Amino acid sequence: MNPPTRSHSAPRVTRRAQARLGVALVAPLLAFVTVFFLFPLGNAIYYSMLDYNGVDPSPAFVGLGNFVELATDPALGPAFMNNIIWIVLGTAAPVVIGLSLALLMWTVRRASTLYRVALFIPYILPAVAAGVVWSWIYDPMRGWLNQLLRSVGLDALATGWLGNPNTALCAVLVTAVWATTGFVFVVLLSSLRNVDAELLDAARMDGANSLQRVWYIVLPQIMPVFLMIVTLTLVGGFSVFDIVFIMTGGGPSNATEVLGTYAYSNAFQLNRISYGTALALVITVLAIPFAVALNRLQRRLSFQESV
Amino acid sequence: MTSRHSLAAVAGLGALALLLSGCTPASSTASSGKGDSTLRYLVEQQEDPEFLPMIEARIAKFEERNPGILIEIDAMPFDTMRTVLQTQLQSGDGPDVFNWGSGPTFAGSLADAGLLYDLTESYEKNDWQIYDFAKDRVTVDSKIIGVPGDIETVGVYYNKTMFDDLGIDQPENLGELEAAAANIKQSGVIPFAVSDQEGWQAGHLLSMTLASRVGSQGVADLIDGKASWTSPEVIESLALWAGFNDAGYLPEFPTAISYDGGAALFYSEEAAMLPTGSWFIPEVEANTDFEVGYIPFPSEDGAGIFTAGLGSGPLVSANTDNPEAAIKFIDFLVSEEHGQWAVENLGTIPAFPIETKDLEVLPLLAQVIEDTATFAAGSSDLGTNIDVVASDLFNQTMYDGFQALFTGQKTPEQVAEELEVAARN
Repeated sequence: MNPPTRSHSAPRVTRRAQARLGVALVAPLLAFVTVFFLFPLGNAIYYSMLDYNGVDPSPAFVGLGNFVELATDPALGPAFMNNIIWIVLGTAAPVVIGLSLALLMWTVRRASTLYRVALFIPYILPAVAAGVVWSWIYDPMRGWLNQLLRSVGLDALATGWLGNPNTALCAVLVTAVWATTGFVFVVLLSSLRNVDAELLDAARMDGANSLQRVWYIVLPQIMPVFLMIVTLTLVGGFSVFDIVFIMTGGGPSNATEVLGTYAYSNAFQLNRISYGTALALVITVLAIPFAVALNRLQRRLSFQESV
Repeated sequence: MTSRHSLAAVAGLGALALLLSGCTPASSTASSGKGDSTLRYLVEQQEDPEFLPMIEARIAKFEERNPGILIEIDAMPFDTMRTVLQTQLQSGDGPDVFNWGSGPTFAGSLADAGLLYDLTESYEKNDWQIYDFAKDRVTVDSKIIGVPGDIETVGVYYNKTMFDDLGIDQPENLGELEAAAANIKQSGVIPFAVSDQEGWQAGHLLSMTLASRVGSQGVADLIDGKASWTSPEVIESLALWAGFNDAGYLPEFPTAISYDGGAALFYSEEAAMLPTGSWFIPEVEANTDFEVGYIPFPSEDGAGIFTAGLGSGPLVSANTDNPEAAIKFIDFLVSEEHGQWAVENLGTIPAFPIETKDLEVLPLLAQVIEDTATFAAGSSDLGTNIDVVASDLFNQTMYDGFQALFTGQKTPEQVAEELEVAARN
């Protein structure tokens, strides 16, 4: 027979008091979640089932009509592909560059704060500022990128970076990578401080080269933090909007359109609020499985580590 | 009260305070005195930041003359205004008076939703002398729902000094314009400072070429669905700009050049011509030290006609608490005195007749005032600025289509086909 639990043995009055205390403590959070998450979510689902143009006081109910239209929208595929490119490159590039920089800076002591601050500044810059500054850099006539290329005889490579459909997405992506890498670098550099130096020395003595030491010794030890970084950048790839909107607005001729800008364009430029809302819900639904999977993996690895 | 109840009450109050702090609207910053009516007046952010203080000073005059009415002016970027205006008006927390476009997708859709105050009676009572053609643009279901904005024309600015230096006369037809462009290009200067990064410039490019090619009635027929957007004239107009781009008459990457960037090319004399509207006259005058001319885009057999549109004008919210004060304010805004002030200080042309004889007006503006006055009198023709009257879907298709033309992704025929589909939707 199992011993009675503490709550079973507690007097009824005390249990009731505990329950009330629990409710009282949870109530603010519950109210917060209801007002700022559940209510807007329910509202978004409701609006996605209407044909609302932003002004019509009695919009028609169309059920799943907006979602059916989304499934056959020819503009959605290219926008989704751009998101995929963004997710892959926009996650891989800052993680690889940030990790490489963190490994390089790991043992550097002199002026390390300066390096960290310098690399972190782009991350804290507002997207508007980063977008505007990089737009100047990419300016076809006066931007220094084309001037640099021309000055070294690479005139053929000079182009209208943000106005050329072949280069526009990559140009915006480079800006995003520039802005994100500092964050990845700083977080990974901090996590590297916890790596067991003795294990590394042992691996070195066993003849493991640099790449092997990173792969077999360093990465497993920083894996939970590494996965957290991957989750953040990857989920950000689904919802990317601001930097694209500022630098190209999705153009030229939709060449840089991503799901976020397409949703905005429908909702606020074409006044199709419901269609834009349906698209925003789809973006959310697409991102959830990745976030959940990575979160579970991270927790499992953290658990294994603690065992 | 027991301690349990106190705890629950405190928690509940805490939650309530949290909610209220986040959800209650901020109180108005403008304190109104006893019996004062405060009107919130929302305008688009001005091209020139110096204009807003000038408008505020002007509004102070109205407040002086109308004790008891205070105007709280608020400026917002166009894109932001587009996203928040409808919500504000619907929530009843919007501005009392606001400047907004008079086209069907702007004031028209707000009127359809019952968000605009019916000014029909006010027009009669106050005898507002708005031009008939402009009044038509703010008339929905026989109700006048606002005051049309300033009259704006779209044409081509050209560097007269440079033209003279190169021995080029003002182009009198399309052939002469093309010859001038070839000549200018040969001299190492970009003929047209066309920018298309934002996309909306396409509306002006197509409007001006079409107006000169098919006349105002032809453009009206296209907009009204009586003519097809796949007609040869439309395709030729699209092909003209694609051809100019291919011939090197435009900057190398127009889709990578912003509106301001295009203007800068003209100011710095890296480009000889700037296709844009009369709203740019104060900027052009302020930023150039060479002589500037302003002409309509020529047609094949003549000088062509200007394209005209109406800018944003004052509308009154249907939910205003102070309709009488709002109408008094509108009455001030449509007075000849205010129109004259706007011409002299903002370089804008009101949609009502004003005496300009004794005004200090920029030379280019004087020309536009004359053009619009002769048009209003029925003595001349003006084309229509398409994006002011077309649907959002059509406009977006036009913007995307021009970017596709300039980047070689689509042919003029394909763009015309897409325009036709958008127009039919």
